[in-house]
Amino acid sequence: MERKTGLLNQIKEGIHDLCYIWAEEMKHIWKDEGVLTFFILVPLLYPLAYSWIYTNEVVREVPVAVVDMSHSHLSRKFIRQFDASPDTKIAYHCKDMNEAKDLIGQQKAYGVLYFPSDFQTNVLRLEQSHVGVYCDMSFMLYYKSIFQTATSVASELGSEIQIERSGNWTERENEISTKPLDFDAVQIFNTTGGYGNFIIPGVLMLIIQQTLLLGIGLSAGRSQETKGYRNLVPISEHNNGMFRIVLGKSLCYFMIYAVIAAYLTLIVPRIFDFVSILYPGDLFWFMLPYLLACIFFAMIVSFAVRYRENIMLMVVFTSVPFLFLSGVSWPQSGIPEFWQWISSLIPSTFGVRGFVRMNTMGARLGDVLPEYQALWIQTLVYFFITCLLYRKKIKGIDR
Amino acid sequence: MQSIEKIFDVARRECAIIKDNPMYWVCLVIFPIIVTVFFTSMMASGQPTDMPVGVVDLDNTSTTRSMIRKLDAFQTTKVVNKYSSVSEARTAIQQNKIYAFLYIPEGTTADLLSFRQPKISFYYSSTSLTAGALLYKDLKTISTLGSAGVGSSLLSAKGATSDQIKTFLQPISVDLHTINNPAVNYSVYLNTMLIPGCLMLFMFILTPYSIGTELKFGTSKRWLATAGGNIFIAVAGKLLPQFLMFLAVVYGYMFFVFGVLDFPHPGGIGVMLLLGLLTVLASQGFGLFVSCLIPSLRMSMSVCCLWAVLSFSLVGTAFPVSAMDSELISLSQIFPLRHYYMIYQLNIFNGYPLYYSVSHIIALLVFAALPLLVIGRLKKAMVKYDYLP
Repeated sequence: MERKTGLLNQIKEGIHDLCYIWAEEMKHIWKDEGVLTFFILVPLLYPLAYSWIYTNEVVREVPVAVVDMSHSHLSRKFIRQFDASPDTKIAYHCKDMNEAKDLIGQQKAYGVLYFPSDFQTNVLRLEQSHVGVYCDMSFMLYYKSIFQTATSVASELGSEIQIERSGNWTERENEISTKPLDFDAVQIFNTTGGYGNFIIPGVLMLIIQQTLLLGIGLSAGRSQETKGYRNLVPISEHNNGMFRIVLGKSLCYFMIYAVIAAYLTLIVPRIFDFVSILYPGDLFWFMLPYLLACIFFAMIVSFAVRYRENIMLMVVFTSVPFLFLSGVSWPQSGIPEFWQWISSLIPSTFGVRGFVRMNTMGARLGDVLPEYQALWIQTLVYFFITCLLYRKKIKGIDR
Repeated sequence: MQSIEKIFDVARRECAIIKDNPMYWVCLVIFPIIVTVFFTSMMASGQPTDMPVGVVDLDNTSTTRSMIRKLDAFQTTKVVNKYSSVSEARTAIQQNKIYAFLYIPEGTTADLLSFRQPKISFYYSSTSLTAGALLYKDLKTISTLGSAGVGSSLLSAKGATSDQIKTFLQPISVDLHTINNPAVNYSVYLNTMLIPGCLMLFMFILTPYSIGTELKFGTSKRWLATAGGNIFIAVAGKLLPQFLMFLAVVYGYMFFVFGVLDFPHPGGIGVMLLLGLLTVLASQGFGLFVSCLIPSLRMSMSVCCLWAVLSFSLVGTAFPVSAMDSELISLSQIFPLRHYYMIYQLNIFNGYPLYYSVSHIIALLVFAALPLLVIGRLKKAMVKYDYLP
């Protein structure tokens, strides 16, 4: 074939090649059920599974055992109020601590309220009275429910005792003497304090990155296995520039994930009524660099794959550490500096941070600027690294 | 006798394969070390400390400033900035500069001194549940202390003793006993699930990997021939070296976490050794079961991957299983990690005798025995299986 020169022709040829590679890659993906599993099936079904798991959001009616040595009016009042609270319920009345301990061992209760025999006597003597709260620490949310309920019941009963002792004249006086400084606790953004609202946005972003890593890795691995490097770098008359290869392939992945990402970020939260106060325009501009950074990152990782299944061994276990690095489960300010540096290499770190703030906190694009910039930097850097790796590979074949 | 020799023949063959394939070493030595170091160093402080908090102090008196200083002195909280309005502070949360803020309206101190019950507010965000819960505790304490301060100065002016003041301000106090984890150390609580979960993930996928690669590269007939055509010998011999390696990894993890880092383990070493053994057997059993059911390397590994990743949720450590829908409560039983965690928390962490977790021990043994049902399929696949890329 006669080669034409001139910039315009080169660009024309380049676009033509790019489209050819895009079409080839698309055909391969549709024929490969392994890749399809991770590109389509997992992103479609996994968010539904996770949303179902966390859809109840909060823990209610945690069973608690009571050991009441006081048998008094006051202890019974405490028990009644504790039982009536939404988060806890009194499941068992025990005669001693051993019985209660046995119930915890059988997982029939997750905490114990212990009223010593002088519980009411102390109050009547104008001394401080104590109630023992014992918590099973292997489930943090049970502990939180039991402890918070016990504290609030104790302070409520305490106020009643204060009022009795103050000898005030009016209701208003009572209010002021028990609580001279009033306060309000306002839970903003994640208004239910729910587990789903907290973890799902992060998981959705992570699913995008991890399935891209797996899918692209599998696809690259297959090419390596079947035709050596010939397919990973399609050598034909249409190929003589690494930009065309990289752009063609990434365009193909991007098209698939534009749809997947729209489903994950817009549809899934609505199906399960999770908090979603996004601005669609902002979301579009944020997802653009996130998807690109993930795609190029995945293409770099795919170079490490010799056999297609190896990618699973390398990638799957990283899901949980990546989620932690993003600062969802463990607050970002508490992440050691070394891991902060490592985390800045991974697109999901910034993707999750930015998306959580936009989705759950209603932040605008300007509020997530550091993350947005980091994603563009990652996109550019990873794009050029991908190109260099392809170039090395092409040269290797030529020789 | 002869069959034991054959098992060793297969095991020797397997050792040669493992030696040549770096994936085994990466997944059994390097990755577990990375995971363990990662999680334990991440949560080394036990609880996140010095989380950034803002203040909107429109009153700005010595009373409110002393309140803010007290808030700053808490271990969990660090007051990083003052904002001039609530909306400015809200924007700061959206920009990830602070996680919560305290709002003190103008005139708070004057109202406080003249008994007009002023009201302050604190805003906290549970988009990170850990941060939200811990900051809520601090902010609530500081608000309660604000009330107590007024009460105590009033009472001492009336001539009450400090004991009387304490009794009046808090007639009923809660004695909290966080059993076996007195400092509410998140590392103790989370890492004993996360790291074993990752180790199980490796065991889950390496088992179908090692069997599937034999089928994929067409070496399964040679493998079966080494075992004299007996599928049980073939599988036993193949999984024996891996079993020993897995066991070493799990015991290594336990030694590091309970021996070196000294996580609470009143249950003792005997239970740990038993649990480690059960975990490896159950994980290999599950992996083998899946690869018998679906001999394709890619599909069996995919199933094991998806299973292992889901088990981090269905183990119920972070969000308890009992709070999920009833179908999920039943489904959680088919995830080995759930049983691992229950045995760990009952027998090692809380130190209960083994009979409290009999059902979970049996469950893990069932996982180990599961392949017996379908092992015939594997033999069929080994004799006539063509790899489809």
